Amino acid sequence: MPTRSLVVPAILAEVAPICDLVNDEALAAGFDSRTSYACQLAVGEACENIIIHGYGERASGQIAVTVNSAPGALTIELADTAPPFNPAERHPGPPDPDNPRLGGLGLLIMHRVMDEIDYARRPNGNTLTMRKAQEAGFDS
Amino acid sequence: MDISREAYKRVTVITVTGRVDSSTADQFEAAVNDELKSGQRNLIFDLNEVDFLSSAGLRILVMSRKEAQKGGGVVRLAQPSDRVKETLEIAGLDVLFESFPSREEAIAAY
Repeated sequence: MPTRSLVVPAILAEVAPICDLVNDEALAAGFDSRTSYACQLAVGEACENIIIHGYGERASGQIAVTVNSAPGALTIELADTAPPFNPAERHPGPPDPDNPRLGGLGLLIMHRVMDEIDYARRPNGNTLTMRKAQEAGFDS
Repeated sequence: MDISREAYKRVTVITVTGRVDSSTADQFEAAVNDELKSGQRNLIFDLNEVDFLSSAGLRILVMSRKEAQKGGGVVRLAQPSDRVKETLEIAGLDVLFESFPSREEAIAAY
């Protein structure tokens, strides 16, 4: 199972390179372009959450990204040293087009795209693990 | 991300290109608010060349629609890219916006 890693400063401008890595590995896993895009979108949302809600106003911090790809399967792990923030337990529920929300859209995207989202609090930070298989499609 | 605006008789077309995420959304939101504050309630977003649209961009589209509707206006999309369509579909918000295959057809709808 090929593994690629990247450690970046936890700033919004560094989210794009993480998305690029996820897209590359998703395509390498044999995902179609739509699913590859969905994966980079979901991981981008997770990274933005870490930066905005995890680290918040803290001036420094990093995100360590590890991507494992296998035929038809992708696993992305994001590790940070921010205060506890668990997006896995914050499922915003289904979208309501009659009363569209302005908040929680990032979490909604993460949960609809990924098959599994696991959170672990370590002594010095957070680890978020997201898994996606090509054939699973999007959840409602 | 780049943004340009073009005013027509009944509508302003806001053309966005590149990546729309939290690092660029402020610029997008400022352009939209500028139009809304000037009294323009009919907006077309030409999103043909957007190659990434995160929830930060979605939020601005939804906010624009809400504000435009308050003033009796309508927000429509012109030639949204596949990436834009996919983000809207994943978030379940594609039904909120009428889309047109060309900018001209979107303008003609007003």
